[in-house]
Amino acid sequence: MKKLKIGSFLSMVITLVLVYALVKWGIPAVSREVTTLPFPLPVPGALMFIYMVLTIIALFLFVTFSDEGLSDFLRPVRKFLRGGYGKIPRTVILAAVPVLVGWQVYEIKVPKAEVPASLRIQHPSSNFPRSFETKENPFTNPTDADVSAFVEQAKANEIEFVPQVREDVERWMEETDPGHVLEFVPVEPMKKFLAQLKSGKVDAETAKAALMEKNLFEGRALYSMNCRACHGDSVAGDGPMADGFKLRPLNFNDNGTIETIVVGYTFWRVANGGPGLPPEATPWDSAMPEWKLSLTEEERWKIILAEYDLAQKTPRIPEGH
Amino acid sequence: MRTAHKMLAAAIAAFAVLWMSGPVMAAETPSKPMPEATEELLEKGRAIYFRRCSFCHGLLGDGEGPAAKYLDPRPRDFTLGTYKFRTTQSGELPTDEDLFRTVSRGLPGTAMQSFDRDLIKNGLSEADRWAVIGYIKTFAPEFDDPELDPVKTGKVVALPANRAPYNDETIARGKEVFERAKCWSCHGKLGRGDGNKEFRKDDWGFPIRIRNVTHPWKIKAGTDVENIYMRFTTGISGTPMPSFIKTLSEGDRWDLANYIKSLQHKLTTNQALKAKPVQGELPESPEDAAWDAAESMDMRLTGQVVAPPRWQNPSIEMVTVKALFNDKDIAFRLTWDDPFKDVVHDKSKEFKTAEISKVGGFNSYVEANGMVSRELETFRDSVALQFPVKPPQGTKKPHFFRGSSSDQVQLWVWKADLAEAGKRGTQEGNARGWKQPIKIQAEDSQQVSGKAKWDQGRWSVVMKRPLVTGEKNDVRFERGVFIPMSANAWDGSNGEHGLIMSLSTWHYVTLEAPTPISVYIYAILAFLIAGGAGVWLMRRAENEEETAEAKA
Repeated sequence: MKKLKIGSFLSMVITLVLVYALVKWGIPAVSREVTTLPFPLPVPGALMFIYMVLTIIALFLFVTFSDEGLSDFLRPVRKFLRGGYGKIPRTVILAAVPVLVGWQVYEIKVPKAEVPASLRIQHPSSNFPRSFETKENPFTNPTDADVSAFVEQAKANEIEFVPQVREDVERWMEETDPGHVLEFVPVEPMKKFLAQLKSGKVDAETAKAALMEKNLFEGRALYSMNCRACHGDSVAGDGPMADGFKLRPLNFNDNGTIETIVVGYTFWRVANGGPGLPPEATPWDSAMPEWKLSLTEEERWKIILAEYDLAQKTPRIPEGH
Repeated sequence: MRTAHKMLAAAIAAFAVLWMSGPVMAAETPSKPMPEATEELLEKGRAIYFRRCSFCHGLLGDGEGPAAKYLDPRPRDFTLGTYKFRTTQSGELPTDEDLFRTVSRGLPGTAMQSFDRDLIKNGLSEADRWAVIGYIKTFAPEFDDPELDPVKTGKVVALPANRAPYNDETIARGKEVFERAKCWSCHGKLGRGDGNKEFRKDDWGFPIRIRNVTHPWKIKAGTDVENIYMRFTTGISGTPMPSFIKTLSEGDRWDLANYIKSLQHKLTTNQALKAKPVQGELPESPEDAAWDAAESMDMRLTGQVVAPPRWQNPSIEMVTVKALFNDKDIAFRLTWDDPFKDVVHDKSKEFKTAEISKVGGFNSYVEANGMVSRELETFRDSVALQFPVKPPQGTKKPHFFRGSSSDQVQLWVWKADLAEAGKRGTQEGNARGWKQPIKIQAEDSQQVSGKAKWDQGRWSVVMKRPLVTGEKNDVRFERGVFIPMSANAWDGSNGEHGLIMSLSTWHYVTLEAPTPISVYIYAILAFLIAGGAGVWLMRRAENEEETAEAKA
């Protein structure tokens, strides 16, 4: 059996290429399997450079370990330089290498038109008023007075809704002629509340849960009228208007967004929008409106309530509580 | 060595496997047919509908939810059982899978978004989508009638068995079909939706905006050849778009679909436009051949929803910009699609914003129909380029929506009515925020010139101005500097005027800087050093050989 003999020079070159391929494509390919993300994680350029330098040093040590090793390694190089592999390949390579080097230097030095990079802090706190830190959404924990007022309205079958949803609810009433106006809310807490109302024994917890459903309904309607165009109906930052903005509207499903901030911060951001941001958050690129110019506090809090609910997230709890 | 070979082979195979296993494709077709519509399924569907759909489609399913008035196209009225996007013959009900596709993929260019949980984290699972579809079907009694079931009655349209490949030949054949079937009579010779001289109305009396088939982001039910084929095979119910199933052969329709696919515009991805230097005069006309050599940048625009009056039904969603400059001037050419040439402006019909611009107003958005006149011969077409007045410091810029009180912007506003009347079409103006209208500069400060043209559903406007004017409220152009640039656009017959418009966020324009001579010197030096080293090594190797031979 004849052994296939690879020269020292060629095996060094193959090793180098293999290491490069492993770092450049192998690691990203494996990363996709490990992280299960739909995209590969590339090895950063600086790390790539370190890997390759280490490989070259190791190969250099290996080659120069003995004189025979070195001369083994240099034999094909010498042969090539003498024209042992033919004069034409020698001329071609000796001419091509300087051209490549010159071209690389040109590429590095030539001025390139690159868009100025702008780093951006998503949740800046430099101008966040401390007083908002502990602000709470009044609709997350309605007061006993609010709950009993709601129960009274429910008993009288006359629920007060925000004007934006009234028309739709009234048309539903006319068409279906229900026993109770709140029957259009087809979720368990409301069904339980309506059953209790019928029996005449309403407990505060059930009433509170039902009031929450009513507020969520209003909040979702206000969200879809005001915010949906950009943030999307699945609060994924992908509304019909989203593609026109360089800074995409926030995706509230992302773990790093509304979950990592206190609800008072969300309220402050909704109120003051892009123009209320400090420079480190590039306010000039933000399309977020100053909603305090259009929406009442009640409307904004109801929207925030619905937004967290749609995203299935809870706000960060203020420190010191 | 053999083991090494085996290991190498194994490694290569492992890589190949890893490479090919891409992400699992999210499904627009269900894995199972629709489950039986039990009481339980419908109740589940009702809760999902209430939470996710009712705000547009209404509690009664009649497309009259609180958000509906502001949307064009309007949300579907489920009570009629009329569905636009189907795989069934004209006038038939859709299949369950058709509804599943719409709920899963949404309808791009409308407010109907994808609800597929594989695409959107809090979307709906397949079971949830089936439940809500089951509930939606209860709104229209037609779905209960087995005689109207398109599957049972064999009214489902299949894709052709022989699907010609997408290539130049089938595209050319498709173009002939486009001519022959007179698709252009509505969609325009170039597919820009400009075939009609006036608006048509849909079954509900709302004006129909004929699809510009070259803008794929507005194509509602899929941009693939298969989807396009289905649209003119089944027709679009409730609109003038007919079914061509009887008038065109299967092969013709497939070729036509290939042709329509070939018309879809591919967006450029550059965020910075490189203006090219030219010798001699800059073109004033948008049709000048000099523009062919210039780089092109597509700017995406969207509805102005930042401040009241908010508008989420913009007509112009892309403006393509090119720029050329010489030692004195810079010239921009803006092109955008607009099916109607609107060159009059009736100031008395302008929208009074006060009623919707207050805290606690009912809504700060403009209704799609009723609040503003979306008719021909009412408002002018218009476009504006916006720049910061002061050169930006670092990344700091004025706000993309008209700057702010401390950061002034300049706008070059072109108005179709002025241009049509033979006046100066483009006015230089300034703004400090959106609360005040753009302040047009005095006549003796106006220096933008250029011509405009509307042809086949497309405006082209040239704006030319000296690089530096010496005036303090004017933007100045210097080579090598990145100057922020954005666009505003108005389509008059879409009711757009004032802040009812579309706009882009900041892009950049930069005047190509000359390459410094030092770059060439470095490159040549590198070439010489590398070449010299190579020759020296070669000589040395040859000398060694000679010495060795001489010794021998």
